[in-house]
Amino acid sequence: MNRQRGGRINVGWMAFVLSVVVFAALVAVLAWKPRGQAQGTEPIVLYCAAGIRVPVEAVAKRYEQEFGVKIQLEYGGSQTLLAQAELSRKGDLYLPADDSYVAMARKKQLLDEVVPVARMRPVLAVQKGNPKGIRTLDDVLRAGVRLAMANPDAAAVGKVTREALTKAGRWEAVNKHTTVFKPTVNEVANDVKLGTVDAAFVWDVTVRQYPELQGIELRELEGVAAHISIAVLHNSARPIAGLRFARYLSACDKGLVEFKKAGFEPIEGDGWTERPEMLLLSGAMLRPAIEETIVRFEFREGARVNRVYNGCGILVAQMKAGQRPDAYFSCDTSFMSQVADMFMDIRDISGNSMMIVVPRSNPKQIRTLVDLGRAGLKVGLAHEQQSALGALTRKVLLEAGGGIYEAVRKNLAVESATGDLLVNQLRAGSLDAIIVYVSNTAASKEHLEVVAIELASASATQPMGIGRESKNKQLASRLAQAIRSAESRGRFVSLGFGWKVPAE
Amino acid sequence: MGEPNIPRAMQKPRQVGSDAPFVVGLGIIGSAYVLLIVAMIVADAAFTTPGHLLAALDSPQIRYAIKLSLISSSMTAVLSVWFAVPLGYLMSRSRFFGQGLTIESSAGSGMTTAWWLKGVFLRTLKHLLDAILDIPIVLPPLVMGLSLLILFRTPVGQAIEGVFPVTYAVPSVILAQFSVACAFAVRTMRVTFDQINPRSEQVALTLGCTRSQAFWMVALPEARRGILTAGTLAWARALGEFGPIVVFSGATRMRTEVLPTTVWLELSVGSIEAAVAVSLLMVMAAVLVLIVVRAAGADAGMPGVVQ
Amino acid sequence: MIEVSELGFRFGVFGVAGISFQVHRGAYAALMGRTGCGKTTILEILCGLRRPARGRIVLMGRDVTDLKPAERGIGYVPQDRALFSTMTVRDHLAFALVVRKWDRKAIEWRVGELAELLGIGQLLDRKPHGLSGGESQRVALGRALASHPGILLLDEPLSALDDQTREEMYGLLKSVQRQTGVTTLHVTHNRFEVENLADQILHLENGQIDSARFGRGGCSGGPHESDNPILGPGTASGAHGRGDD
Repeated sequence: MNRQRGGRINVGWMAFVLSVVVFAALVAVLAWKPRGQAQGTEPIVLYCAAGIRVPVEAVAKRYEQEFGVKIQLEYGGSQTLLAQAELSRKGDLYLPADDSYVAMARKKQLLDEVVPVARMRPVLAVQKGNPKGIRTLDDVLRAGVRLAMANPDAAAVGKVTREALTKAGRWEAVNKHTTVFKPTVNEVANDVKLGTVDAAFVWDVTVRQYPELQGIELRELEGVAAHISIAVLHNSARPIAGLRFARYLSACDKGLVEFKKAGFEPIEGDGWTERPEMLLLSGAMLRPAIEETIVRFEFREGARVNRVYNGCGILVAQMKAGQRPDAYFSCDTSFMSQVADMFMDIRDISGNSMMIVVPRSNPKQIRTLVDLGRAGLKVGLAHEQQSALGALTRKVLLEAGGGIYEAVRKNLAVESATGDLLVNQLRAGSLDAIIVYVSNTAASKEHLEVVAIELASASATQPMGIGRESKNKQLASRLAQAIRSAESRGRFVSLGFGWKVPAE
Repeated sequence: MGEPNIPRAMQKPRQVGSDAPFVVGLGIIGSAYVLLIVAMIVADAAFTTPGHLLAALDSPQIRYAIKLSLISSSMTAVLSVWFAVPLGYLMSRSRFFGQGLTIESSAGSGMTTAWWLKGVFLRTLKHLLDAILDIPIVLPPLVMGLSLLILFRTPVGQAIEGVFPVTYAVPSVILAQFSVACAFAVRTMRVTFDQINPRSEQVALTLGCTRSQAFWMVALPEARRGILTAGTLAWARALGEFGPIVVFSGATRMRTEVLPTTVWLELSVGSIEAAVAVSLLMVMAAVLVLIVVRAAGADAGMPGVVQ
Repeated sequence: MIEVSELGFRFGVFGVAGISFQVHRGAYAALMGRTGCGKTTILEILCGLRRPARGRIVLMGRDVTDLKPAERGIGYVPQDRALFSTMTVRDHLAFALVVRKWDRKAIEWRVGELAELLGIGQLLDRKPHGLSGGESQRVALGRALASHPGILLLDEPLSALDDQTREEMYGLLKSVQRQTGVTTLHVTHNRFEVENLADQILHLENGQIDSARFGRGGCSGGPHESDNPILGPGTASGAHGRGDD
């Protein structure tokens, strides 16, 4: 009869206290993590298309072993993953099963660097031994043959297949004949494996993952390939770490080994180095436009870019003498065409007009090219052989006709390899007029006055190319990507360049 | 002389046939469903091998998933009960509280408009509340997950995330499970409190209790069985929850992977045998826990008859 | 004592305009009326479980109209007894005292006292499940009386009992009431209960209370000609206690 005051009757309260204790205990058990994950090392989150899971997992494991950095893989259909990344604004890397998703994401401004990885092709999967004797698309469309498709709006293989079949005019029929749609490529492969359907469109690499399946090449899918690239998400909190893993994944001696093992067709990747190095030859007048971009690029990539700025004539001579840069940013198309066979993926980046530049308030009243030929003037021009500017100047003067070229040459006081030197001389007062690029004047606009040259040939186009023999093609490509970016464009335009990159 | 002449034959004592066909009929209908469940489990078991089961138990990811599943479901069950009991009590006893609050209309007139309006207002409120509490039950689980994801992207949600990471972290698993499981628990608790005679609490009031004391000392103990049912229901529901978790918490191995996610992940690489093995593990774990809890509940001296 | 003035309330679609009655201190009053004319509601109002539209209630000289049930000092035995199914009989008897934070020894002593008074000593460790009608009635009584309330309200306490048990209860109720001196209001529709127990009879009919002395076999009778449930003006009737007149 030993009842505490109100003891027995307060069962309700005791039960509640007990539940609190139990809850706290559960929290404790859950929170106690085996000391694998220290506070600082947050994992890198990679949205990976379900179909590429196998090699990516292998690479991630390797990376973790080598560097102790954990990669957290989120799987799903390529489209679904994109939606998730967009919605949650979390995540560091995106690896869809086809480039079209990269393009989509780029348009939404969700991506920064994009690194190509491999290719794969769609095939038709059937059970091993091909019990229903399917050999052509017509066989697939037979009554009694059940077909599964990965949803074209969710998974890459479905999208790629739909595009190819639409081009061949067979999509309507196939779509109607499809027995079931599933969200990812693995699920339709499962269905063929289980026997609930007879055929499905999957990747060639998927077939390799399933010993129970075999692939049938269809004529309508010939030449169709999906390009796999890994991209750094713009909203990533750790872009440098993410980019580093992307480099690792696409390195021919690291990540790409796993891809090859899994049956993918890897692209030509750079070899892996901690701190990759590359050589960029660039026309001197481009320096103010690209220097900042390159510094940022070096920081993000953990790379070193050796820059050589000079007159293009000199650069071309160097290259002809045997130097092979990883990338060449030329002052003008004419100087690129001289070495065009050494480079690939040559693209126009910017345009630059030539101007007559005089000191402010134009003391000598120079208004046209003809005025440059007046007696007594001291004119500065770029060296005809050493620089694109010089060569172009010559072309312009010759085109102007009327003996202007000779007249101006008579007044030639200074000949320089780069426009910057001419500008300095002009400001120092030792010249009355010079002909340089408009971009050369950007730094000292207040002290100068420009006079336009009304001739079509008085402008240059600057292309950039990747060295064919480069051992760092991907890195160089990404540098080119960075230079083509919107941010870089801003810098070019503010310096007076025109922009020649076509809108994406 | 209105009495009809009842023929002799109809005056015999009444005879009915055997009850056996009725009972057997019920048995057949009921056992069809039971058989379906058992057949599925047997088919699953036949599809996989003990080797796969052991391999599954060996994998550290799956062991983690088991741990996370069991713990998060338990936490969800406790949380659900904490919230379902007050809510169920309020909804069930709203009239009970109302009696102390609403004033019976002044004598001499019929219903006054004010009183009538008040009644309508309270009733509408109650219906609205009912509908809201049905939403988690009716909505597809994926929609619940998506809504949670979007909720945590709002300024308020972001503020919370700044202090305490939720999306794609472990707490999100519990939140996702709780959002759905609690609705079931509330329903159960509401029915439980409906079945408890409010008179007991009223007597407690006359004996000197505040409403709070009447709740803790009288209503709650009487609701023991209901609470256990609500808790186990929430637990079972939480264990099987998949949709909201995969959207809101992700499918990260060794972090937010619960057993249903494991099954999905294994399927997504075509390891059907492994997926089935894990499914069977889930079934066994769930059945074991439910049996133990129900037995423990019965032992705790709860009356066999629901009051 | 109980004093009710001008009490008005609704129950269902019926209404009661303004009833008044008094029960003297220590008296045993019976409240009679047809089923469904509001007797239980009156008890609930007296308990404080329901608010009347108007009127005043004075218990033991205190105006309790605005007080909570816990503050009124009443003991209430509802019609279905409403015992606490998870507690033992001992817990029932001790309940009101535990709430008032009495000393453990004092509670033990009072429980023993009640058990003896009501003859339920052998049931102390039983749970309500399985108690007979009479036993559970005694337990309900004990629970209500534990904290020495001044007023005891009984809602048809004997209607569910068999004749023999009822006879026993007559004696029990009378002796308990005499020993404790508690003012009792006993709702019933049974004439014999009234004859056996009550000093004072209150009839509730058509929204009015008529007071009658003991002996007038009042009728909780049949249908009235003006069976109209709508309220008439209240009749203030003087209270006639025992010994008056």
